[in-house]
Amino acid sequence: MITRLSKFFFFLPCLLLLALSTGCSTPSEPVVSDTLLTNVDEQLLWQKAEEEQRVLESSDLIYQDEKLEVYLNNVVAKLQPQTAPADLSIRVKVIRNAYLNAFAYPNGTIYIHTGLLARMDNEAQLAAVLAHEITHCTRRHALRAFRHFKDRRSFLTSVQQALMANKGLQKLAQNLGFTGSLAAVSGYARELEAEADRVGTELMTRAGYNPKDALSLFDHMISEIEQEGFEEPFFFGSRVRVRERIDNLQNRPDDRYPRKRPAIRNSDLFLAKLDHLFLDNARLDIRLGRFQAARRGVEKFLRIEPDNTRAHFLLGESYRQQGQDSDIQKALKYYNRAITLDPKFAAPHKALGLIHYKKGQRALAKKFFESCLQLSPNTSDKAYIKGYLRQFTPSEEG
Amino acid sequence: MKKVFWVTLVLFAASCVACTHTGGPSTPTAYSFTVDIPAGWRKIDRPYLLVTKDSPFLQNIMVQNRFIGRSFRYTKKKMRKEMLPEEAAQIIIDEYASDQNIGNLKVLDNTPAEINGHDGFKILLTYKGPKGNEFHTLYYGFIKANTFFNLRFTAGGRQYFQKDIETFKRVLNSFQVIKANKS
Repeated sequence: MITRLSKFFFFLPCLLLLALSTGCSTPSEPVVSDTLLTNVDEQLLWQKAEEEQRVLESSDLIYQDEKLEVYLNNVVAKLQPQTAPADLSIRVKVIRNAYLNAFAYPNGTIYIHTGLLARMDNEAQLAAVLAHEITHCTRRHALRAFRHFKDRRSFLTSVQQALMANKGLQKLAQNLGFTGSLAAVSGYARELEAEADRVGTELMTRAGYNPKDALSLFDHMISEIEQEGFEEPFFFGSRVRVRERIDNLQNRPDDRYPRKRPAIRNSDLFLAKLDHLFLDNARLDIRLGRFQAARRGVEKFLRIEPDNTRAHFLLGESYRQQGQDSDIQKALKYYNRAITLDPKFAAPHKALGLIHYKKGQRALAKKFFESCLQLSPNTSDKAYIKGYLRQFTPSEEG
Repeated sequence: MKKVFWVTLVLFAASCVACTHTGGPSTPTAYSFTVDIPAGWRKIDRPYLLVTKDSPFLQNIMVQNRFIGRSFRYTKKKMRKEMLPEEAAQIIIDEYASDQNIGNLKVLDNTPAEINGHDGFKILLTYKGPKGNEFHTLYYGFIKANTFFNLRFTAGGRQYFQKDIETFKRVLNSFQVIKANKS
């Protein structure tokens, strides 16, 4: 009997091989009908996708923000192709993950990472990513890849054991499942990705966006990947894959659909709808040691709420944890601003205590450690703070 | 049949080299520390000191000296020699939290700790591994000169954790720094 786990170990190598086989041949296009689920293998694929999605959605990876989901689904509605099959309902959900990615299950559910959303500046860039993913669904790329894979089953089986050694993606792939991992990690064959770019740009243009607005997002992603030396496991975190997106956009003939109105960007609306996502993702970026990326996200948020205490605190954290001498001065500035905005917020008191303690400014350190404990007596790091306070001599009191 | 015998013999010999039964003090030249390896625990061939009684997935003790300038695997953060123990502890928590292979990470304890006279930290974590199994890790660490020393005990589930925690504490108490990299 094949267990669920052994099925997983069978599928993971297969999708990796699919990625390796890009360019060998183009998976043939299924017969297009008004409805999708006329084929048995497509029914199986959807069933599998739904099972996998249940696992994903029961994990702690889903980012809960109803207002944001409504907005993302409104953008999808604008991009919806006129010829979409009746039984395909496209919807978008957000995954709490600082890595750059978006992917779609064959049944029309698109997942987009907080990391990718936080890199965007406007709705046109969001539309570019969503239109690409919508096309994967409407053009049934998962089914085409699946059929392509079945033809090679005997070959894939023979190398299954060798690829099972890839431990780096085990947990992730287990959450995403076979269909999710195929879309999220390796992407589809180059021809299918090019088709998603081509059809996606058509959808964008019809909806009133300029596809070339996505270029600045992709350029920014490439430079971030190169400068910060990211080693990401996902499709949109791969320099090669993002470069392909740029090439396909640049090679697209301009103005195939002459515009009567200026292209939609909705930058302010976009920033307002994402708002706290920028801060939540900045915390994840700080955790990963991506301090510059974190600051860029927080600065976008500050355009909406310039006096947000948490945002100023996170800027302080990004500089303090980066730890260069010049950074510490900047950290002090942001922590002090956070305290001015909300004197009862304990976290910047603790951070200022640490900075002064390390500088040997013990009286100041003592003042901030004590105020932190006063504001938050049960803070999780109270053992450390009490330890620092025990070191101070009576002459440092008051 | 003879072939099978020889292949089995070679495989057995290789496994003996990889998993040497030890016990007693360990002062290999590759490490900057010494610890007493508990009797009945065997060493697994790794660049750091890793010992287990039954299997590394059930319980293991790992002791490591690490150059502070080296980035961690998941977080890009690096240790610095002027860091306070709680700042070093935060990097370790961030490293676990950024590992895509583990889930449901909970930090049950994060406190200052003294490790044979060195000011350091102690963290107690629980999390789920790639196959959904629960793990408990008790992690001690401190920075000395340019080296980050750490000792950790990881067990698959509470039962194995409780069973061997006292053994780990004996290893911890036996720990001594031989030299810390100053350059």
